[in-house]
Amino acid sequence: MGATDPGARVEAGALACDGLTIRFGDFTALADVTLSLAPNRIHAVCGQNGAGKTSFARACAGLIAPAAGRITIGGKTLAAGHVAAARAAGVELVHQSFALPPSFTIAEAMEFGLTGRMGALYTRGGLQKRWASHLQALGVEAKPSARIRDLPVETQQAVEIARALAGQARILILDEPTAVLAPGAAEALFARLRRLRDSGVTILIILHKIREVLAVADTVTVLRGGRLVEGPEEASGVTADRLARSIIGAAPAAIARQDEDLGALVGAALPHGTRQGHAAPAKMVAAVAGVSTRAGADGQSLAGVDLTVGAGEILGIAGVEGNGQRPLVEALAGLVPLAGGSVSLDGSDVTGLSLAERRRRGLRIIPFERNTEGLSLSSPLWENFAARELLGRSALSLIDPGALRREAEAAFKTWDVRFGSVDNPARSLSGGNAQKVILAREIDAEARLIVLAQPTRGLDLGATAFVWHAMREARGRGLGLILISSDLDELFDISDRVVVLQGGRVAGRFAPPYDLAAVGAAMVGGSH
Amino acid sequence: MRARLLTVGRAIAFVALALVLCGAIFEAAGFSAPDMFSAIIDGAFLSDGALVHDLRWACPLFVSATGVVIAFRCGYFNVGTQGQFYLGGIGAAVAVAALRGVPDVLVMVAAIILGIVFGALWAFWPGWLRIRSGTDEVITTLMGNFIAGLLLVWVTSGPLKDPSGSGQVTASRPVPIGVRISTDTGVSPIIIGLTVAVGVLVWVLVNRTAFGVLGGLAGRNPVMVTWQGARLSRLGLGAFMLSGGTAGLAGAMEVLGPDGRLVSGFSPAHGFTAVLIALVANLSVSGSVIVALFFGGLASASLYLPVIAGLPSAAIDMVNAAIALFITSRAWPTRLPWLRARR
Repeated sequence: MGATDPGARVEAGALACDGLTIRFGDFTALADVTLSLAPNRIHAVCGQNGAGKTSFARACAGLIAPAAGRITIGGKTLAAGHVAAARAAGVELVHQSFALPPSFTIAEAMEFGLTGRMGALYTRGGLQKRWASHLQALGVEAKPSARIRDLPVETQQAVEIARALAGQARILILDEPTAVLAPGAAEALFARLRRLRDSGVTILIILHKIREVLAVADTVTVLRGGRLVEGPEEASGVTADRLARSIIGAAPAAIARQDEDLGALVGAALPHGTRQGHAAPAKMVAAVAGVSTRAGADGQSLAGVDLTVGAGEILGIAGVEGNGQRPLVEALAGLVPLAGGSVSLDGSDVTGLSLAERRRRGLRIIPFERNTEGLSLSSPLWENFAARELLGRSALSLIDPGALRREAEAAFKTWDVRFGSVDNPARSLSGGNAQKVILAREIDAEARLIVLAQPTRGLDLGATAFVWHAMREARGRGLGLILISSDLDELFDISDRVVVLQGGRVAGRFAPPYDLAAVGAAMVGGSH
Repeated sequence: MRARLLTVGRAIAFVALALVLCGAIFEAAGFSAPDMFSAIIDGAFLSDGALVHDLRWACPLFVSATGVVIAFRCGYFNVGTQGQFYLGGIGAAVAVAALRGVPDVLVMVAAIILGIVFGALWAFWPGWLRIRSGTDEVITTLMGNFIAGLLLVWVTSGPLKDPSGSGQVTASRPVPIGVRISTDTGVSPIIIGLTVAVGVLVWVLVNRTAFGVLGGLAGRNPVMVTWQGARLSRLGLGAFMLSGGTAGLAGAMEVLGPDGRLVSGFSPAHGFTAVLIALVANLSVSGSVIVALFFGGLASASLYLPVIAGLPSAAIDMVNAAIALFITSRAWPTRLPWLRARR
């Protein structure tokens, strides 16, 4: 592998894909994407979370086999789903989270990182000498003898990039490289990428901050909901405003949607809630006052968030994912210690109370992850359904499994769940039906506040409409609802008010009619 | 129901496979496999008094196995049954030694209770470590077995030593006849009664209480029950201590029953076999009844083989080990899917 000197990358290849479709089970992550990227340029691919960006990158790097379509590198079709094939074609992916072994020195990581060279004896000095010039040429300012874990994150990233370029990489794919960087470090990264481009590398960079896209990209491609919205377009001809619009998606169709249409879609299983012009609610159901949390494992935190939800009100929480949505739900649930502030339910302070106690007072949660947090997939359906009720009893209280099975059956029928038997594991249900099981469990007569975290993600249109319908019906009964969603169409359609979270803070509060541009600006954090 | 029959059938098939493997090894070692098996069956079930011997071993094994069922269902791999069993024995012996001049019945009851308490406490610290800091309970409970074994050596050669002992085996003074819950046969109304009571109580706990359902959910998906508001710490500590308590009871039963005193290193394969019973029974209490009788038979056959048939008793260890091999390779991925994620 003598290609450590950049001159060996003689011919920079373009990357193209034709009808690229990626599916995970029923979920389509990428649908029929056709595009071609010119060589020696920096191409940005942007979109919200769940838009299909990462799937696209991983397919190009051979990590995912597409369900349909093909990828060509430099005119040659790439064997689908083989990392080795992609690597041989000169494609290297720098992951969102780094893959270098923390205990290795830089030189060791360069030599053994992912190149798969095994078995030969080596000396430390030899390794360090071998890689010193390569690192220097790429402007990595760290000793080859330094350990990966001791490096600052931007240097780790630089080493990761250098590692990717150790072979014959002609196309470098970076998956949200700025997510881990401090703002200043991002500019250094961009400078590095420009130098690479000038030396003949084609760069595909995945970003979701508009500011950064405009700062670094030569062309821009936008994905939304797994589809190609536009691009690749010359970045010089794109404004921040237009980019925000195409990333977030316009919502005019959603605003026109009526309950009657939804009723037809759902089959009118439940009485309709009524949507009036929103008046200030008579009674508060929940209040979050000045709540702050420390950064969790995912780096998210809240900083002084104030929210209120009234009876018969749906409060929408908008925001680019990872801006405090999860800590907000955890703070409401009492599953994360607060660094400050208070949470109250129905006027009484519940800040110090456990989730069990909060649930007793009417808190209900439809968590982010349906299949891990919402359901136990390998447990029978009736146990999944009974869990909430059983937690309200003392542990040693006797139960009648027959009666619990019948209760679950009856509830599932009311909620139109398609299931075989309540003894079947939850795994046997489709996504929409699984969500209905959770709704059936969480929206009961004693519920007061329902927190729904991405309740329609991955659901088809019918199931989505069902969830919306259930929310409207709950609102009609005077419950308070908090809807966290990354789908602005959904939020605008159903929310009585929308609050934007950005960087763990409330970045804007909006009432209908919603101004898409203003909400979008608040979400992306002052790109306007 | 069909699913249940299927799991039973599968368990039997795996046991059969294990026996075939053993047969092959017997043959390779120069024994006749059919003779070997017929001797085992003879010793386990057919010879004079075999069924009584079965029960003598099956009762404590079943009691410990129910504890394993509780812990494993809740997702905690308490494999410290042996240690908790020893502590139960020590607890009973301590009560007997301490309560001199107290009416026999009271000593008996106190010894049983102290056995349960000691067993539960020996499960408490690994449970607490697991819940507070995520320390792997497989490691701690396993290590606990060795510590308990050494503790037993110390107790029987120190504080509770029988001064008139032979010196070959260290042991406590014999338990007074009036305090014994059975003769040396190990089968008595009290032992059968205790075993049946534990079986019924644990069956109810697992199948008919909120704890049973929630524990089962937590064992398969602790995250989900957390979002439902469950306190895993309570659920988990409860499971650990109940599990240790049953093993402790089994230890007390041995000391007050067939052994009649606390012997260093008694029933060395008890904990391992109890775990095996629970796994073969697919963590079902009712299933454990049958499986415990089967393994009780094997245990009594291991005494029968060398004496009557002149065959090595290690054959039984091999049968046990082979069954363990097949059953664990079957049970872990299906019954406990989260294991792969966690480790």
